[in-house]
Amino acid sequence: MRFHRRGLYLFAASLLGLGSVTFAQNSTVLIPGPLRSFLRMAGVSQKAAPEDILPLFARSVFIRGYSGGRPSEYLMLLDRYVAQARELQALAGPAGALKVTNCTDAVPLLQILGYRIRNGCGKTTLLTTADPDRAFLTIDSGFPLPQLEEALQNGQTFTMPYTYSQVPGLLHEGDWFSISTSRRRGISSLIDAIVDDPSVARLYWAMSKLDPETRNVLLRQPGLRRLAPVAAVLDFYGGELTVRDNRVIVPGGPTSDNAWKDIVGASPQSPGDFILHLLAKDRGWTAAYFDAMSRASREEQAHLTEPTRMKQLYEAFRPSDQDPPATRGVFRRAPDILVLFSRANWAPDGTPHIPGDIDTWKHILADAPRNHATSEWAKRAKGWNRPEQVLQGMVGISRTDMESGPLQIFLQANAIDRARGNAKPLDPQTVRLMASHFSQYANWFPLFAEFPELDNDSIQQFINTAQAVGGISNETLRGNALGSFQAIVGIWQVLARQDEIQPAMLNASWQHILEPFNKVQNDTELFDHARESLGQLAMAAAGKPNCTQDEWISLLGGPNQSSREARAMQQEMAGRIRSVMIDQRLVSLDTLFAFSDGLSALSQGTTTADKLLPMAEELREFEMPRAILTTMERIEWAPRGYSIRHAQLQARVDMTKLLKSQPNKQQLENARGTLAAFLRDTLVGLNYAYYEPPGAQMLHHNPVFVRAHDFTGATVSSPERAWMIAELFGTGSPASGGAYLAGSLADLPFALAKSEQDFIVPENVQALIWRELVPELLVSASMPRWWEITAPEMHAAALYQRAGEDLIDLARKSPEVRSRVRGILEDRLTVGQMITVDDAWNSKAPTPPKIAPADAFYLTSLYRTRFPQEQAWSPAEQELEALSKEHPEESRSDRIARDFGVPHPVMDSSYGRNLLAIKPFPFFGGFSSRLFGESWDSNNFYWARLADELGYQPVMLHRLVPELTRRMTAKIFASHIEDWAALDRAMRETGEDFRHTITAQKAAQAVASSVQ
Amino acid sequence: MFRNLFTGTSLGLLVLLHGGLRAQEDSSRIRVNVVLVQLSVAVTDGKGNYIGGLKPSDFVVTEDKIPEKLAGFEEGVTTLTRAADDTGVPMSATAPPPISAPGDPALPSATGGPQPAGASVFILFDSSNYMYRGFVFAQDAIADFIRSLEGVSKVAFYSYSRNLSKITPLTADRSAVIRGVRSTVAGDDEALYNSLLLTLKDAAPLHGRKAIVVFSNGPDNASMVPPEDVAELAQSTGTIIYMISTREALNDEASTTVFERISKATGGKAYFSKSWKDEKMAFESIREDLAHLYSLSYYPAPNPNQGWRTITVKLADKSMQKYKIRTREGYRLQQTSQVAPIAPPGREWPGVPTPQ
Repeated sequence: MRFHRRGLYLFAASLLGLGSVTFAQNSTVLIPGPLRSFLRMAGVSQKAAPEDILPLFARSVFIRGYSGGRPSEYLMLLDRYVAQARELQALAGPAGALKVTNCTDAVPLLQILGYRIRNGCGKTTLLTTADPDRAFLTIDSGFPLPQLEEALQNGQTFTMPYTYSQVPGLLHEGDWFSISTSRRRGISSLIDAIVDDPSVARLYWAMSKLDPETRNVLLRQPGLRRLAPVAAVLDFYGGELTVRDNRVIVPGGPTSDNAWKDIVGASPQSPGDFILHLLAKDRGWTAAYFDAMSRASREEQAHLTEPTRMKQLYEAFRPSDQDPPATRGVFRRAPDILVLFSRANWAPDGTPHIPGDIDTWKHILADAPRNHATSEWAKRAKGWNRPEQVLQGMVGISRTDMESGPLQIFLQANAIDRARGNAKPLDPQTVRLMASHFSQYANWFPLFAEFPELDNDSIQQFINTAQAVGGISNETLRGNALGSFQAIVGIWQVLARQDEIQPAMLNASWQHILEPFNKVQNDTELFDHARESLGQLAMAAAGKPNCTQDEWISLLGGPNQSSREARAMQQEMAGRIRSVMIDQRLVSLDTLFAFSDGLSALSQGTTTADKLLPMAEELREFEMPRAILTTMERIEWAPRGYSIRHAQLQARVDMTKLLKSQPNKQQLENARGTLAAFLRDTLVGLNYAYYEPPGAQMLHHNPVFVRAHDFTGATVSSPERAWMIAELFGTGSPASGGAYLAGSLADLPFALAKSEQDFIVPENVQALIWRELVPELLVSASMPRWWEITAPEMHAAALYQRAGEDLIDLARKSPEVRSRVRGILEDRLTVGQMITVDDAWNSKAPTPPKIAPADAFYLTSLYRTRFPQEQAWSPAEQELEALSKEHPEESRSDRIARDFGVPHPVMDSSYGRNLLAIKPFPFFGGFSSRLFGESWDSNNFYWARLADELGYQPVMLHRLVPELTRRMTAKIFASHIEDWAALDRAMRETGEDFRHTITAQKAAQAVASSVQ
Repeated sequence: MFRNLFTGTSLGLLVLLHGGLRAQEDSSRIRVNVVLVQLSVAVTDGKGNYIGGLKPSDFVVTEDKIPEKLAGFEEGVTTLTRAADDTGVPMSATAPPPISAPGDPALPSATGGPQPAGASVFILFDSSNYMYRGFVFAQDAIADFIRSLEGVSKVAFYSYSRNLSKITPLTADRSAVIRGVRSTVAGDDEALYNSLLLTLKDAAPLHGRKAIVVFSNGPDNASMVPPEDVAELAQSTGTIIYMISTREALNDEASTTVFERISKATGGKAYFSKSWKDEKMAFESIREDLAHLYSLSYYPAPNPNQGWRTITVKLADKSMQKYKIRTREGYRLQQTSQVAPIAPPGREWPGVPTPQ
């Protein structure tokens, strides 16, 4: 959306022999009334750059302006606002100001505003609604009504400048009128043209995303009128289109021109023709294919665009006549082809890496859920004998959106093999086993990519154990078993991640904790086996068979620390966990185990009931929140489905009665079984507490949040979802006892973040980036721990970023450096982002281009790798060089990328953290919407730099990162879903607020100490 | 004398939390605030007239049936109906002077009548799409309500839809609050209970009378927390909740019931109005109610109950048994972290040390 800086763009059409043709790429568009009001009504961020305003407005119109082909409330209000603004402007007259000196003067203005005077003129004057429709516009657009009222009360003159606002527009306004299909007569402004015709709005938005050179070519040929019918394709899949030197930049570069010509039916060297063919061909799917390939890294492109391969892959991807267009629906299609092209794995001989073997994939396709794509490819697969064919099959089925089909299995298996370094790849048997249970355990398999130490046996054992637990017929027992099993696996994952289980012990300890769960028959056994499993985990992490609850919390709080600050922080982290456990009113492990032992002893006659009474009392202390509704009211008003029965049952448990009734052995044994439900909740609570998102409220104020977790999937229609990432249910239902999670503990940080995100109080109204992105931001703060980060490593992270910024500044002056920098950044930045960098490079202003912190890190890292002989280009790079020599391990870029990166469970099929050489993904609907959120990976790099520059110890990141992230989230003020600039702005504003405060505090301390 | 105690600073008393961690008291570092328990008590006769002029000794307060000794007492303002008039018992001619927060001179209202003394009032305005039609009328009514509190109370104005928006923080500046009212924009879903919870956390550290006046126009459709948790926090922090609701909520029986009970449990009231004129009457009623509340406070006597504690307030004299008493029903001990307000935006960074 950068077009204002280029001014009048001159395009020489001499190549066509037409002589010089001038295209006005921008103009000035007049918007009635103050810009602030227009932005409010249009749903555009107040912080949007001037040149972005009309494109964002156009986007809002076609996204939000129509429902079922009819104007929405949003559009009607906007239209009426524009009319009101014109009336006010007429009232303001040539002077361009609304002026009111007394009550009489005020009447015409108030009529337009929809208000009237109450209580006569003078001190008691009040303004009150006369026409609610107009008054609503007045308020919603932010007219300063209180100031007018105060002026009338005080007998002062109210003056308000009221005239047109000017914003840059794309092309001449008339260019857009000419393609409008609106029936309204007398359209005289771009605003009207956009409001009246969603196809104009969409084309405007789509064109604004192109760089000026590309846009200019398209304006010349095919021109706006011929582009209008393919506006939706251009919008969804045209973002990476680039024309340079009158040729389309195609994936694979010029050597791929011919292959693309064959696919598209026009030569990249005839850019207008090529692009129109690309957009129109195969109902948009050709453009989708081109876009997916454009977004892959250069390295991946080199593999994918090998001419024969590229054409074969397209033939596989190409739709049949019956397939729907690529633009059907609100979101773009085929997200998985982007992932596949971005994360393909290649064998040393250049062929695609195929997990297992080719036969494995024949079977997987044969067994896949039937749809048009899988049926067709299952037939074709019978003749497969080359890896290329498997890749083609995956590309072929990628057009069909599936959550757990063969392609998702392929991506997951590839991720595990990649994590294993392809040294000990998955064997065919394991791949087939994974595939046959993928619909159930898809969200658990990324754990095996995070911990490649877990071998094929461990994967198989996980599946077998999960099957055993999931196969328990009694629903209550199954729910408790699932919760206990998953919770212990979750604790293992935390301890493994925190290096509290030695790498050499990971595989064995994994198998040891799973084994006890294979033989659960009843509640008592569940209690005993869960305890045994926990004992195995204690042995692996603490070297002893039993840990107290405090010891468990301490282990989760973090590994043992040597420095005073780190020890204090470890205790603080443990304290946070303890706080959640208390607020959830969970019974301690110590009480549960001691009580169980006591019941056994009582059964054997080695203790007496009265000695157990205090512990029995502790179990009774769990109280449900005081009910507001009666049971009958709940039954009537709560939605059908899951209830808080599990928690209510616990509240009713009264072991004291049993102990006072001289129970027999069987009753005592059954009583031990009752404890299984409490044990499950305590173990699950430890997981919840560990991943507490910043600003969490549910964990502290809804004491049944943990207990209400539905593990059996009773809430959801499909039992298979019981193993999937938990979903939130019960929101907005006052009679249901609060929201709760239904599903498994897989990717719990994300599920919790989704549950807690709405408690963050935005600083700005109309903060439009929210549910689609915020959970990922919160996960990036709640999941990482910083125990292994040393001061040199944090300093190196800061230096990489500073050196990257220096490098990009240097590229302004040096064409050679610019070329190199561009070559690196093109793998991380979208075309739109690259245009911004180009604009800054070409600008006369001294401000260097601003790139995101992770991109700056990436740039330095790659530049140093690609040009190792290069002289240090800045003091930061010099210092980094010195640091690398002194602390080579802690300065390694792959280590820093891992430590400050984010998890990419969807993009990379792994819960491990990393920084990927991937451009930001566009937004998709459904489960793939996470691809978009996982694209933002700069926060922790930036927070680390901030901490380093302000002089904090790395361990303080435990406190800083959640708080900074929470505040950043509150500051997001975006206009549309892919408004990356808004994220960057919110992050830097937060950082600067923090820097300012700490710097001031330091200065005050310095003054105080100098006085002393 | 009581008043001096009442207006003292935080008066927080820290005790070890009972329950899950009792077995590890040595290692447990989490503590809870057993704050001075403050009660806002309305005393009315059968016709709903407020009864004034009562003395501390007229009240009997028990917690879980354990008698409590009052540590503070304050009456709102002089009332139209005085207990002495009814009973013949000699009473002081003038009520205790109201307490004003610093910078809040007790000024007569522009509209006259009794005023709440030193109360902090949070107005929580529903800007969800339920509100579209009545949006501007509601703003007019709220603006009038705020004007009627001029110079007396501190007022905050928050709006909510799916998220809470803290438009005007607690302030004595009436104009700032009204500007806030007029700057509200319409939102999407309605997460009333989430927003109430967050507002309660802002109210929790305040002393004196504190109330949240909720203006809702429809059933909650987006909250995570249930009303039970909100009611408990309100009671535990001594915050009264008044609910004003209009047409949409009336169509939802569950919401109507919850609104009534949540306000009653906290010592407040619920109003259901069919038009914006009714809403103004509701605001007037709330203003009256706030003005006539007695403030009682006590330090809880030793009580082993670490769960819900039931509070009972009665009038000692038999002749006063005919009066009705409205106050919160009890409270639950809270961890410090539960009642700590969320750090505000801007340049305050509580809990973050300056690096050396």
